[in-house]
Amino acid sequence: MSGVLVVMEQRGGKWNRMSFEALAAGQQLAAKLGVECSAAVMGGPGVDALATKLTSKKLAKAYTVQHDLLMDYTADGYIAALQQLIEHAGPDYILFPHTYQVRDFAPALATRFKQVLISDVIAIGHDSVGSAGPIFVRQLFQGRLNGNYRHAASGPCFVSVQAGTFRGDAVEEGTASAESFSPQLTPDQLRSKPGEPFREAAQTVDLSSAPVIVSVGRGIGEQENLGIVEELAQALGAELAASRPICDNGWLPMERQVGSSGQTVAPKLYLAVGISGAIQHLVGMKGSKSILAINKDKNAPIFEVADYGVVGDLFEIVPELTKAIQAAKA
Amino acid sequence: MVREVLQVAVVARMSAGSVPLLQLPAPHPPSRLAEPGQFSGIESTFLALLIFVSAGLFLWRFGPILCTILRSKKAPSFSLSPLGGRVWNFFWEVLCQGKVIRQRPLPGLAHAFVFWGFLAFAVVSLNHLATGFSLGFFPPTSIVGRFYFVFAAVWALLVAISIAGLFVRRFFVRPVWLGEKLSYESGFIALLIFLLMVTYLGAFFVADGSTAAKALWWVHTLSLLVFLPLIPHTKHLHLVLSPVTVFLKNDGFSKIPSLQGDEDFGLVAGKDLTQIISLQTYSCVECGRCTEHCPAANTGKVLNPKEIVLGLRTYLNEFGPASDTALLTESRIASPDNPPAKYLSMKAAFECTTCGSCEYQCPVGIQHLPVIIGLRRGATNTGAWEDSYGTKLFLALEKNGNALGMSSTERDKFVQKQGFPIFDGSQEYCLWLGCMGGYDPKGREIIADFARVMRYLGTSFGVLKKEKCTGDPARRLGNDLVFQTLAESGLKTFEMAKVQKIVAICPHCVRTIATDWREFGVAPEIEHHSEFMARHKDRLPKQTGDSIVYHDPCYLGRYRDIYEEPRAVVAQAGSLVEAPRSHERSFCCGAGGGLVFLGEEQGERVSHVRAEELVSTGADIVGTACPFCNTMFRDAMSAVSEAPPKLLDIAQLTARALPASESQGPQPF
Amino acid sequence: MKIVVAIKQVPERDAPVHIAAEGRWIDEGDLNYTINEPDAYALEEALHLKEKVGSGEVIVVCAGPERVQSTLREALAKGADRAIHIEADDLGSRDTLGIAQILAEAIKTESPDLVLTGLQSDDLGLGQTGVVLAELIGVPHATIILQVEPSGDGIKVKRELEDGWFQHVEMPLPALLTIQSGGNKLRYATLMGIKKAKTKELKTVAAAASSGAPSITLERVYLPEKQKKTEMLTGSPAEVAAKIVEKLKFEVRVL
Repeated sequence: MSGVLVVMEQRGGKWNRMSFEALAAGQQLAAKLGVECSAAVMGGPGVDALATKLTSKKLAKAYTVQHDLLMDYTADGYIAALQQLIEHAGPDYILFPHTYQVRDFAPALATRFKQVLISDVIAIGHDSVGSAGPIFVRQLFQGRLNGNYRHAASGPCFVSVQAGTFRGDAVEEGTASAESFSPQLTPDQLRSKPGEPFREAAQTVDLSSAPVIVSVGRGIGEQENLGIVEELAQALGAELAASRPICDNGWLPMERQVGSSGQTVAPKLYLAVGISGAIQHLVGMKGSKSILAINKDKNAPIFEVADYGVVGDLFEIVPELTKAIQAAKA
Repeated sequence: MVREVLQVAVVARMSAGSVPLLQLPAPHPPSRLAEPGQFSGIESTFLALLIFVSAGLFLWRFGPILCTILRSKKAPSFSLSPLGGRVWNFFWEVLCQGKVIRQRPLPGLAHAFVFWGFLAFAVVSLNHLATGFSLGFFPPTSIVGRFYFVFAAVWALLVAISIAGLFVRRFFVRPVWLGEKLSYESGFIALLIFLLMVTYLGAFFVADGSTAAKALWWVHTLSLLVFLPLIPHTKHLHLVLSPVTVFLKNDGFSKIPSLQGDEDFGLVAGKDLTQIISLQTYSCVECGRCTEHCPAANTGKVLNPKEIVLGLRTYLNEFGPASDTALLTESRIASPDNPPAKYLSMKAAFECTTCGSCEYQCPVGIQHLPVIIGLRRGATNTGAWEDSYGTKLFLALEKNGNALGMSSTERDKFVQKQGFPIFDGSQEYCLWLGCMGGYDPKGREIIADFARVMRYLGTSFGVLKKEKCTGDPARRLGNDLVFQTLAESGLKTFEMAKVQKIVAICPHCVRTIATDWREFGVAPEIEHHSEFMARHKDRLPKQTGDSIVYHDPCYLGRYRDIYEEPRAVVAQAGSLVEAPRSHERSFCCGAGGGLVFLGEEQGERVSHVRAEELVSTGADIVGTACPFCNTMFRDAMSAVSEAPPKLLDIAQLTARALPASESQGPQPF
Repeated sequence: MKIVVAIKQVPERDAPVHIAAEGRWIDEGDLNYTINEPDAYALEEALHLKEKVGSGEVIVVCAGPERVQSTLREALAKGADRAIHIEADDLGSRDTLGIAQILAEAIKTESPDLVLTGLQSDDLGLGQTGVVLAELIGVPHATIILQVEPSGDGIKVKRELEDGWFQHVEMPLPALLTIQSGGNKLRYATLMGIKKAKTKELKTVAAAASSGAPSITLERVYLPEKQKKTEMLTGSPAEVAAKIVEKLKFEVRVL
């Protein structure tokens, strides 16, 4: 077959939800190119149970790549198995979700075909003529520039798709014919031994690795008022942090202080409540991916660094926000 | 204040107590000194033996110290010129005892009396000993003698009163700065001095050639000869060394010598200590003035500047001046085997705010800052200092060129928003923003207001297109690599832009550019905005109503000797209030020496102590002249006070009264 | 343990990027260059490992024009023992595979026990060179590594997975690891290090001519449409809350 092959990711029988975003991307690319789209899932015995989810999608084929040695992920095992599958199925485009696992094996897989993976793609475009193939848009310089990439060689084109670029719920339903594929693997091919995944024991507050932080400042006024911010943090599943005056007053422990004399953080979301943004604080959180600030002073310096700003009374906004988030999560 | 009053009382009481002693029934009117009479050959021989032993003991104990000093590394940058300055220092600090008196008036004056008394006694003592060999050259009966011995007696009286007062201060008042341990040696020496004076005065009340006269003579002689060998191993070594130390000390405040060759990284081991440092080390009189004024020592830190100096002395005594043993140890845990004074701790060295009050205060010419910064250089330049905040700071300076680790585009945005012209050579001044002025929200307000003042005065200015940190925190924390890189890059920037005159709101920038950069080239003339505004003060609007307490920044006051200019600006903006500690005795805000970037401090916060002091003056406004002080007080004042006074830089104090048309400039944000 | 660290020189992180006239790359005229940050962590891990094992050699390798020597010298100042500069002025016309090939050639001649490199570059961010390199020199690899420790004849590494999960992986030597930022604390370059670096070897080797056309090409670079700007959300508290939830769902993606 030619066409598009989407390599789905599962761990321990559970889908990585980014897989369906990649699947949507694959379907759309295939539609645009007028070719077929297939999908594959790999794993040890029992992974075929997952494949039923694929047969209800609009796909040409749903491959189940099953082998005892694929039970746990190893780069060596996955590369060898996928190499065989790609040689068997012969797709023109192989799409992956840009996960940590894909980053671990896909570049080497591409190398086996003398190709280079176009990684972490944020959009797929097409020329009006279309003869030169699709354009893959990537971010450069940490998102400060975009770059258009094109696959220039003959042979399969390897692409991984950034999380959130396509919507998983946009996958088209339909039917697919299931196909099992048994790769040839021997234990001596797997050079590394993976251990069981684990989480760090959370003894101390480690704000630096928290993906979401709700941080509170002087604007909260009194210790008794902290409750509304704690509820907001809980609703968001966030760590609670504070600016220096709050910790100075002993309202929150010192290890929750963000800033030059506290911790430096870089979460996906930093929600600053009643923080005006003294430089000592800004240097500790300016690396956050997104910053949302709620402050009553429209001239507060925190708005200089914020992506989203709300000027208003935190005592009115925070409880409303907590409610809205709880509702959205329910 | 209370302490001084106490001291007055004590000295007064003591002198009252001394009166009966001096009013012994007199056999004949105390008109002249009695002569001890004839000395037998045995007596003279015995005296000669005593002198020999005393002088021998003195040399035996003093010799090794002198050797240690002389065997220390020669200071490569040392030069006797400017000689005038050295002579003046000697005259003012040694002969006039200017510093001693000025900084601790009462005990200082007592000390000065003892010192001047000693000078007056030089000829008396020589003649005294000569008499023992029947070689007296200055007979009390001569006309000059009659006058001089009475003159000396007046001094003897002053010395006796003073030494008694100082004795009481040390043993009964016990100022904490003298250390917890009582120095019995000092007490003994005070007793000897007292005895010397009393025996001298006593001789006015006895008959020539009487047994009493002879007895007094012998007691006087013995006191003298016991005193001499005690000098080298007690703090009284300063009698011999400190005049030399004061004369030879390096010119310039906190002067950091340039590193020599490929093997010099600062003060790593004993072999890096220069002769000047060794000399200063042995001159320490342990008066504790440095500790008394030290912001670290006053807020529960490990650092105690006196211990640094005494630690060096102990090191030299133990390891010698050629040793490779590291000067700094990781931490100083006091134990019987490891007494606090014995080792210099890494922790202490990095707790110094470089406020310079120790160096400013020291009456015997010890220069603490080159030592403390030298120790930091030794630790930082070799990578021995490991501190996550320090590393973060150095990496930020390396990568971003500013201490805050901000992207330089943030500064560009601010400059654009403010509509500051880029310096192109046509403007009179280059306005230096600095890290605080370029990146800190509060610092930006100060810069914006100062720019308004300049516009109001019709002075043309421009800002540099690109600016990097002056390297101040790297210099003070001993990172010569980063400092040199930044200094050289800064010098080049000024040269390329053809800058002639710079004005800056930050005393740290001013000091570093004006003084520290000299090691690598010639920077354009730079001044602090207080100097600029003071020059134009008559054209600045006069405001009344607010009382403003002015805080002297260390790097403007002690480092640059600028005290009156900012006060002139403040006085124009309201009524000036002085803080309890002001001018050259101002207490640090806690930010200097790179400490603002080193995370939480141990013990009480320096900024809180100072903020409390400023708030307690009851002034409506706290006026600052340094963006670092400002940022420190911002948090501190609200922590120490429910309703803190306003906090404004002198530029803001001035700008708030400018006519409305001038104030319609763009907002800082 | 003989460790090779492959590093890349990139424009400073906060340098203003201006697009060159023909729109294919940025204007390099006014740029300052520095070590790629994840590579700095790779170097740190190598130095750390050498200190932990107590013996060994750390060799830094960098491909690029003459200016990369400053970055190599800095690495020597931080403690690397030797440096190899692969002189190549045409990196822009080589793709990841092409660059990995010239690196592999230089590294193979050293036959190291371990090759370390950063997990991705600050400029292109493709995040592949290390993995491709492992494939080319034929050694096992692991990516996004936070800690390395010797274990028997091989090593045991701590690998970061998503959402706060980690995993230990054991592998034989020689091996290649791509290092995640933040696993260690970086050290600062010291004056002493700079002076010592003067006496260390920095060898320059010429890169082999590129073997063929690249398989992927960067055709155009441009500024993304959405510049970072504070978006003010207004309305009643309930309206604002709804707007925030919308943003958190679709833009910030934390819900």
